[in-house]
Amino acid sequence: MYYLLFGLGLILAGSIFALIFSEKIKIYIFTVFLTLGVFFVCYPVIQSLIFTKIYSINFFISSFVGPVKLVLDPLSSFFILIISFMSLIAVIYSSSYLKPYFGKDKNINFHLINLSILISSMILLTTVQNALFFLIVWEFMSLSSFFLVIFENDKKEVLASGINYLIFMHISFLFLTASFILLSIKTSSFDFDTFKIFLSSDKITSNIVFLLFFIGFGIKAGFVPFHSWLPKAHPAAPSHVSAIMSSCMIKIGIYGIIRTLLLVGTPSLKITYMLFAVSIITSLYGILYALVQRNIKKLLAYSSIENIGIIGVGIAVGMLGIIYKQEAVVFLGFTGSLMHILNHSIFKNLLFLLSGAIYQKTHTKNIEKLGGLIKSMPYTAIFFLIASLAISGLPPFNGFISEFLIYFGMLKGLQIKEFHSLLIFTFSIACFALVGTMSLLCFSKAFSIIFLGIARSKNSSEVKSDVSAPMIFPLFVLVVLIFFIGILPQYAVRIVFNPIATILGTSSFSFPATTLNLLSTLSFSSILLISVSGLIFLIRKIILKNKIIYKAKTWGCAYEAPNSKMQYTGSSYISPFLSLTKPFFTTELDMKKPKGYFPKEASFKIYIKDIFEYHFIIPLINVNKKLSKSFYWIQKGDSQTYILYGLVFLILAIIGLAFF
Amino acid sequence: MFLNIINIFILLFIPFLFVGLINKTKAFWGGKKGASVLQPYYDFFRLLKKGQVISNTSSFIFLIFPTLSFASLLVAGILIPMVASKPLINLDAGFIVFAYILAFGKFFLLIGAMDTGSSFEGMGASREASFSTMIEPAFFITMASIASFTGVFSFESISLILKGSSETGMLIIILTVIVFFIMMLIEAGRVPIDDPDTHLELTMIHEVIILDNSGFDLAILTYSSGIKMLIFSSLIASLLIPSGISYILSYIFYFFIIFISASLVGTIEASFARLRMTRIFEFIFFLSSLSLIIFSLTAIKFSGN
Repeated sequence: MYYLLFGLGLILAGSIFALIFSEKIKIYIFTVFLTLGVFFVCYPVIQSLIFTKIYSINFFISSFVGPVKLVLDPLSSFFILIISFMSLIAVIYSSSYLKPYFGKDKNINFHLINLSILISSMILLTTVQNALFFLIVWEFMSLSSFFLVIFENDKKEVLASGINYLIFMHISFLFLTASFILLSIKTSSFDFDTFKIFLSSDKITSNIVFLLFFIGFGIKAGFVPFHSWLPKAHPAAPSHVSAIMSSCMIKIGIYGIIRTLLLVGTPSLKITYMLFAVSIITSLYGILYALVQRNIKKLLAYSSIENIGIIGVGIAVGMLGIIYKQEAVVFLGFTGSLMHILNHSIFKNLLFLLSGAIYQKTHTKNIEKLGGLIKSMPYTAIFFLIASLAISGLPPFNGFISEFLIYFGMLKGLQIKEFHSLLIFTFSIACFALVGTMSLLCFSKAFSIIFLGIARSKNSSEVKSDVSAPMIFPLFVLVVLIFFIGILPQYAVRIVFNPIATILGTSSFSFPATTLNLLSTLSFSSILLISVSGLIFLIRKIILKNKIIYKAKTWGCAYEAPNSKMQYTGSSYISPFLSLTKPFFTTELDMKKPKGYFPKEASFKIYIKDIFEYHFIIPLINVNKKLSKSFYWIQKGDSQTYILYGLVFLILAIIGLAFF
Repeated sequence: MFLNIINIFILLFIPFLFVGLINKTKAFWGGKKGASVLQPYYDFFRLLKKGQVISNTSSFIFLIFPTLSFASLLVAGILIPMVASKPLINLDAGFIVFAYILAFGKFFLLIGAMDTGSSFEGMGASREASFSTMIEPAFFITMASIASFTGVFSFESISLILKGSSETGMLIIILTVIVFFIMMLIEAGRVPIDDPDTHLELTMIHEVIILDNSGFDLAILTYSSGIKMLIFSSLIASLLIPSGISYILSYIFYFFIIFISASLVGTIEASFARLRMTRIFEFIFFLSSLSLIIFSLTAIKFSGN
């Protein structure tokens, strides 16, 4: 356990030590310290994950906070492994990504310090067992990520999105604090174990506490309707920060929800159905909005929302299995969910870093301005293709494995002899299938509009070469992981056995042989797919050996002047599907119709607004503004009134003290 | 073992016969003699002898997408039961793997179409993508209801148990057969979704995606649509062939059902016109409502117990 703390200390020290050096070397120093820190952190983590060791350490900060206990169990280790590894990849990437910002009056020191605080607070958060210390570390995490998000604060929208994010994080902090206050009043302590013992006897407090924690952690995770900060903060932040946020920080919200479930004990049916409903709505909503985005990072942000929904569905399936005592459903649901947490971190990290590479080369995030990048940026294109296949859940990649496990869990759940569970499981299987195909639609659109066809504007036609090797190499590691988990799932799935044992409260856990055989057969089909493709490609090469192959223009039905505007755009690609889903969007049109016989100017802009933001949050903010306006009279602006207020308060305080 | 080899032969060689049968049926209804049933074989080998013209806007994706689409169909064909209800690889919850491997092929088809940078292929890709998106939930609801009804998930067990059960089971079989048949029409791009007679680009759905392909790639793309139809017809056959009869008899039944299936597709093509674009989504929702009927039949049996 001391290794863990030493590792965290190294990470923090790295950013401070890097202050001394010049701008160019700073990041390398920080990366070296981060790597060392991650090594030290991972030593107890891997021990815990593989050998089910539980480490704990007690220390004392002040008499107000009380004794602080840090516990490292397999569930925390699982999350710490994901956080440290993904952050390391993102930071190695950033050493090259931040190069264009040197010498431009950007405070890289501050950026690195905040990175180290963010990474260490996320790691520490998974081990804390004291309520007040938890809130302190949570606040460190929120503040450091806020400063990271507003890195490019010379742009107005970045600052606005950053402040939106900060406010949302503090609303989540409010809910968490409320819940902790409730618990600590009832138990007069701050320790999680005391809470657990108390809650096992009191059901009403249990439900209230669960609801408050769910809203608090749900805002962090990005469940609908608390999601509106996600599609604003991720495009605003620099790419490595978005990658860390999307692959690690959102999962802290999921970690919180899992811990809450463990705290509250055996879940009730109502709570499970609520979780089911929220998760399915989240995944459908996320992918629907991802389909219509033009900004690549907003698209990825909404896709993160969709995947958080999928993770939530897996957890809900597992919980239903616990309630109905169907062992298969329990382990399939939780395994699928935890594997999806791992898989999503990997391919979302990859996608955000790739979008950063695209942004660095083309200076735009608007996919409608790109096209034809596969010829100038081949590595980025191939990695993006693999990541798109993975996120759509297609074999032989890793997304398929976790989605398959959750599907299988839902199928096994159909055996439960209750009508409402039959209805819920069938409906959720259908929604899951819909989400899967919609994400296929979304990412085929993203990949083809960005990389294929002809360049749609100067942004992409002027790209000469791919990004540099230090940016490509960490991504290659992620691609190898994607292939490994996809092709050898029967080995990869062992990483989650011990965390599930922690969730179920048993000492060890393993899949029954039938499921492992199923995974082996899946692995065989994936390998078969790759081999058959290779075989057919070989046959193709042989058959085409002596044939004439020549290049010509794309067939244009005898039209002799094709240009890039004749291609399909992203919005046209999804418009047949979108015609079905019109009621779910609020669109705003900005049109200048062509006028007269020789029209000079005409333009058409369409803005798609997030329904929750437009119809709930913005009206709420307007109501708040109106109410606040009625209190303007308090702040008159002259100091005499303020002195009067102070005098009135003193008089009231003296009277109050006299009487009570 | 011997059976598996025969099934692989059927998967590889019968698709051409299937397409030839469809064309012969259409010719019959038109009062014509029509091309020989073996014509698709001749077309395939003719294309194999030719070279290729590659569009200069396209990249390596254009070169690999037909191969990957075709490979995914072959692997999907191995997963489904052919004759005697036995798939080559029997997978529990095999229909999920089946659907996703088909989706893998579909992804590459869409990407390959967009690679040419032409508005024709873009239109085909966008329409094809939206139609496939809508049929997945119907397929999954159908299979999930059947899984809940029979209590097992692999294709082999499903067909065995469904055939042995009550009248509700028979009704579910009939409805599922209709669902699979309509899915075949949608996936393979036949009337009333897409008209393969308006060769190349007039209908702008499936045929236009393969507009820029030539030679070997075009050969395996046309072969792929034949395999797709054969796969779905085999699924239908596995539900309809009675179990427990001798192998020779099941093969006779199988070829009979393939023949009926091909003739039915040809008859529909000769009798109906392609639906208007706006009506196609309504047609796909018809498929979803059929699957919901299957679900309600399952629920009835459930509460009846």
